[in-house]
Amino acid sequence: MENTNLSKHTVSFGLSLVLASVINGLLVIAKESSPAVQAGMQKMTGHHWITHSIAIVVIFAVGGWLFGRANGGQGVQMSASRLLAILVRGVVISGLLIVGFYLIGD
Amino acid sequence: MKEIILMAHVLFGVACLIASVWVFVDTLNLSEANQCRIRKMSRLAAAAMWLAFLVGGYWYVNFYKPDKAIILKGPWPFAHDFFMESKEHLVIMLLLLVTYLPIVTAGNLVANKDARRVVLWVAGLIVLLALIMEGNGAVIAMGVKAGLLAR
Repeated sequence: MENTNLSKHTVSFGLSLVLASVINGLLVIAKESSPAVQAGMQKMTGHHWITHSIAIVVIFAVGGWLFGRANGGQGVQMSASRLLAILVRGVVISGLLIVGFYLIGD
Repeated sequence: MKEIILMAHVLFGVACLIASVWVFVDTLNLSEANQCRIRKMSRLAAAAMWLAFLVGGYWYVNFYKPDKAIILKGPWPFAHDFFMESKEHLVIMLLLLVTYLPIVTAGNLVANKDARRVVLWVAGLIVLLALIMEGNGAVIAMGVKAGLLAR
């Protein structure tokens, strides 16, 4: 276990942010590639983008809460360097997934 | 009304951008005196971003369709196909980052160098993504203009 100076919520919601961002990118590819997925998302709230946004925000909130409950309620332990490496790479990769898909895949 | 909603979206987006730059610069010059202000500005950035997101989302769902048709028939179809499509999904990441900012600034930044590093990186990513969103918005507006001029 690494020593940490970061608060429980900084780590747990940081990891959750990466998880939600990656799912955001994958969900873009899934709904744009599959008319059935997009139609299902459209049906849920009336617009696929509203369903998409709500899903990602809920994943972020629930993910942060769950990561915070790990280790008997102490949360995931992690150094700032490791968290930042995961966070920055996660955000950049998620952004590239979205941009790359609309640039090449769509 | 439609135009006011759209301008409110831009206004709140710029307010979020300015507040995030403020957090970044204040964190670089951190002291006991400005720590409280950093927390307030990070909350302001989050509030502005949520307003920009909700107002922009309302406009996108209810009013964008005619603009989209103009763009797609005009000389700049990429303004929708690439810039709008990527903007509407990248902005969700921006929303998450800005929501995360007050969580990071809630701790004692003066005593915690690691938390300061996280604040700087998160605020930096917010500023970068917000500038990309502003740029995308400008290209979308130009796409509509080019489409109207070509009629």
